[in-house]
Amino acid sequence: MAKVEALPYDDRTVYSVAAFNRGVGQWLGRLPTVWVEGEVTELRRHERWATVFFTLKDPGDACSVGVTMPRSRFDALRLDLEEGERVHVFGRPELYEQRGEFKLRALSVERFGLGRHLAALERLKATLAAEGLFATQRKRPLPLLPRRIGVVTGNAAAAKRDVVTTIRDRFPPASLVVAEALVQGSRAAGEIVAAIDRLCEQGDVDVIVLTRGGGSFEDLLPFSDERVVRAVAGCRVPIVSAVGHEQDTPLCDLAADARASTPTAAAKLVVPDLAELCGKLDRAREASGRSVRISLGQESARLERTRERLRLAPALTVERKRAALEPLAAKLASLSPSATLRRGYAIVRTESGLVFSCADVEPGDRVEVALAEGAFGARVEDVAP
Amino acid sequence: MSASQPEQTFEQAQAELEQIVERLERGQAPLDEALALWERGEALYAFCRRKLDAAEGRVEELARRVEQSRPSGI
Repeated sequence: MAKVEALPYDDRTVYSVAAFNRGVGQWLGRLPTVWVEGEVTELRRHERWATVFFTLKDPGDACSVGVTMPRSRFDALRLDLEEGERVHVFGRPELYEQRGEFKLRALSVERFGLGRHLAALERLKATLAAEGLFATQRKRPLPLLPRRIGVVTGNAAAAKRDVVTTIRDRFPPASLVVAEALVQGSRAAGEIVAAIDRLCEQGDVDVIVLTRGGGSFEDLLPFSDERVVRAVAGCRVPIVSAVGHEQDTPLCDLAADARASTPTAAAKLVVPDLAELCGKLDRAREASGRSVRISLGQESARLERTRERLRLAPALTVERKRAALEPLAAKLASLSPSATLRRGYAIVRTESGLVFSCADVEPGDRVEVALAEGAFGARVEDVAP
Repeated sequence: MSASQPEQTFEQAQAELEQIVERLERGQAPLDEALALWERGEALYAFCRRKLDAAEGRVEELARRVEQSRPSGI
């Protein structure tokens, strides 16, 4: 190890830059070897270079550190790393003395395994569930007829096309505003959160669809990122999540107001089928017109039947009165004296009434004699008691 | 109560008309009253008929307007 020489100036000890760097480098070299977790970005590997460079980025923070690794050792791992992949780097700090730059010198790199991802996800899920972010009572109903629909999606995604065409086909009056975001990789979570915020800031968006088509477990990870889940839960307007396929349940699905298994299903949840709705309305309108006509017809028929009874009723009454009169007429006829008169009897009357006795008249009195047919006047000749 | 009073509904007039007919059909009303009931019944009938005709007219009018206003989109 090269000695760090100081130059004395009177009472001051001064180091050259090279010596300073060397000194710090030696001091750093005494630090232990550790595991560091982060996301791989800016990976630079060339056949001509002996060293592979990449930047290890903290996903939750703006911090990063440069990593160096001998190319032969890197290649031997056959990791085939991609931008944004989560890795564990086993290494120790090192100073690149020529530039005074601090690096992490990697001895080994391990891809952050599926098992660890799952365990981390489960921990996050439990924490957020305990906060009540997934509670059913938090879920808001979706608007029945949204005027403006926000869509958060990748810029060239099939999911975007599915959502947009399904919404346009089913409900042409709705206006769409698409907020594009990266939907996989290390920057996706931040972009998705920013896209949701942009839509909310517009103020007139009634509902948001957050969507991404199917992908690998790692591809869908940004949709389980704590920042995204919190943004979905805290979204000002109702939000529908349609990420991945039926079997995938990213955490944003749990925090959303509704979840759909595919982008098309999400679009169907968000808007009604206008043609179907109009058809239903038309049928209801026709049915109500029909039933009004039917009941009018029934009322009309009933009224006419009543009128017919009314028309017959007075004749019926008169007929009954007449029928009640007839026995009276017969009785009356049987009580009249005309039958007696026809047998030869006569009725004799004076001015003072019927004559029943010879004492009622005196000779010379005028009397009226009524017969069965006609009458005549007479004078009393004599009276025989 | 006159059949032309505005507060009388179709249903009220119809119910009264049917009561009158039943009363007449029992034949127990005095003749003069029966005649008065008949006259009243005819007035009620005319009132009900007018109401039904007016309702039918409105139904047809609405149906025509519905035909004209069928939506081609919102």
